[in-house]
Amino acid sequence: MNTVCLSGRLKGAYDRTMVEIKNLTKYYGTHPAVQDISFTVGDHEVLGFLGPNGAGKSTTMNMITGCLPSTAGTVLVDGYDIAKDPMEAKRRIGYLPELPPVYPDMRVRDYLMFAAGLKKVPRNDRKKQVDKAMERLRITDVQKRVIGNLSKGYRQRVGFAQALLGSPKILILDEPTVGLDPKQVMEVRRLIQDLAKEHTIIFSTHILAEVTAVCERVVIINKGRIRAVDTIANLENSVGGNLQLRMKIEGDPAKVTELLRSVEGVLSVDEMEFESVGVNAYTVSVTSDEIRKPLMTKLIAEDCMVLEINSVRSSLEDVFIKLTDTTAKQDREAAFEELGKEMDAQREAEEAAKKAETAGDDTAAAETADPEKEADD
Amino acid sequence: MFSLYKKEVQSYFCSPFAYVISALFLLVFSLSFINGISTMDSNLLKFSFSNIFYNSFYYFIFLIPLLTMRTFAEERKSHTETLWLSAPITVPQVVFAKFLAAATVFLTMMVLSLIFPLVAFLHGSVVVSSLICGYLGFFLWSLVCIAIGIMMSALTDNPIIAAVLGEAAMLLLLFLDNFTKSALIQSIPAAAKILTWFSTEVRFGAFSQGLFTLADLVFFVSITIVVLIWTVIIIEKRRWSRA
Repeated sequence: MNTVCLSGRLKGAYDRTMVEIKNLTKYYGTHPAVQDISFTVGDHEVLGFLGPNGAGKSTTMNMITGCLPSTAGTVLVDGYDIAKDPMEAKRRIGYLPELPPVYPDMRVRDYLMFAAGLKKVPRNDRKKQVDKAMERLRITDVQKRVIGNLSKGYRQRVGFAQALLGSPKILILDEPTVGLDPKQVMEVRRLIQDLAKEHTIIFSTHILAEVTAVCERVVIINKGRIRAVDTIANLENSVGGNLQLRMKIEGDPAKVTELLRSVEGVLSVDEMEFESVGVNAYTVSVTSDEIRKPLMTKLIAEDCMVLEINSVRSSLEDVFIKLTDTTAKQDREAAFEELGKEMDAQREAEEAAKKAETAGDDTAAAETADPEKEADD
Repeated sequence: MFSLYKKEVQSYFCSPFAYVISALFLLVFSLSFINGISTMDSNLLKFSFSNIFYNSFYYFIFLIPLLTMRTFAEERKSHTETLWLSAPITVPQVVFAKFLAAATVFLTMMVLSLIFPLVAFLHGSVVVSSLICGYLGFFLWSLVCIAIGIMMSALTDNPIIAAVLGEAAMLLLLFLDNFTKSALIQSIPAAAKILTWFSTEVRFGAFSQGLFTLADLVFFVSITIVVLIWTVIIIEKRRWSRA
């Protein structure tokens, strides 16, 4: 669900670029972790950084924050190059890494005061900022406790509070909701939306619902390469280019598939699922909605009952799968083919059985006919 | 940088760590003191504190890696280094802050040990110049050891391994003198000469006898700086190759 506060702001609508990433590349030895990544983030934008595990999300974020030097490429943070002017660039960044960088033997408050000092927050401003950050993350009541004794969720929040200190222009959050319970996840999402009013936010995740909930633009990355940089709406449309119909049809699957394919405008029959005896659900890619009518006519003419028909909109999830998992489609196709073969075999077996049955009937009929004959005689 | 220094000193004193090591230090010191007094030559009425440092050096040396083993290894283990890597602070500043903190803790331990000269002063006379020189020499020696310990801690993510590496490095440094004196090395004068440049024991010996020379001071300080620079290089190198 897209939030109201974000609507109206679209790609290119930002006054200025906050983070600019150009041809960023990182090699670990000979293994490329991130290859040639380029994108920009506008002022006060919330950018979702999406990708499966091991796609290079954390590596990229570590490079943006200057924790990790890049093999090639540049990162400009508010105009400052992270490699050439790291002090100025780092002052503008608040970073929450995947594992919150908290010292287990320190108390929450002491830790945050220390972090504020490390971020060069003026001495007389530290207390105020720490209090504000603790209030925002609702950790004020644990401020006297030793971090090592806190639960994972609280530790994550302490790490988050640390990132807010020094009021950085840019917040970089690496999987901020991992390991939190559903209520905390909701809180963090709300917090991100709230923070978007004051900060530019880049956050990574592999949870799609999160992206649709808090940001309008996403970068999808897989195996160290960018697959897409676009608004969620555009991405959904790009995949939704060919409409999919989901139809429940009663009848012989092989025949139905053939019939469906024979109708002009049907691109492919993508999937088939077993519904109930004799009924299967088919997912059909079609060029337009107009196809429904000829499709129905044809099926009914051939005595295949259409029980249900509805259109399926491609969601971000499809985009994600399509872009990140090239093997998935092949797998699906292979499985479909196998299912078809299985059904063919089943049909053949059925036919053979039927034949045997009819043959049996014939002999029975012959037997019954005989006495009649005799009677006739 | 000061915040990091403050935090480091606090983390030493807020855990039992500094206290346990200080206690051990004082135990070694007092045992050496008792030993020194009981074996005192009757002809020699003045007791030399520097001898305590000189004679029980090996014991003291083994305390320092315990003090420094956690500095970087622990940060790596608990993934806290991203905090200062992403903060507006440079790696040399971090290394120096950690070095200063460990040096401060060690200095505290040495100050505590002043109670023995004080007791001796109350009941006899102390050669003050020799005492000051002995303490100064020992402190300079310790700075080198602290730097080495921190460097070893930057090499690994396991504090125990860091401690063992630190002990090994310090032993090598200590035995460098004996090694230099060996027939093999002495047969190659050039090698012997080069190794003597790095010999610490002779210089420390001069301090413990109450001799203070600027050359020795420069020697200890410059070795410390070189080792700290190495530490910075090690950390920067690891940043590049971290997976």
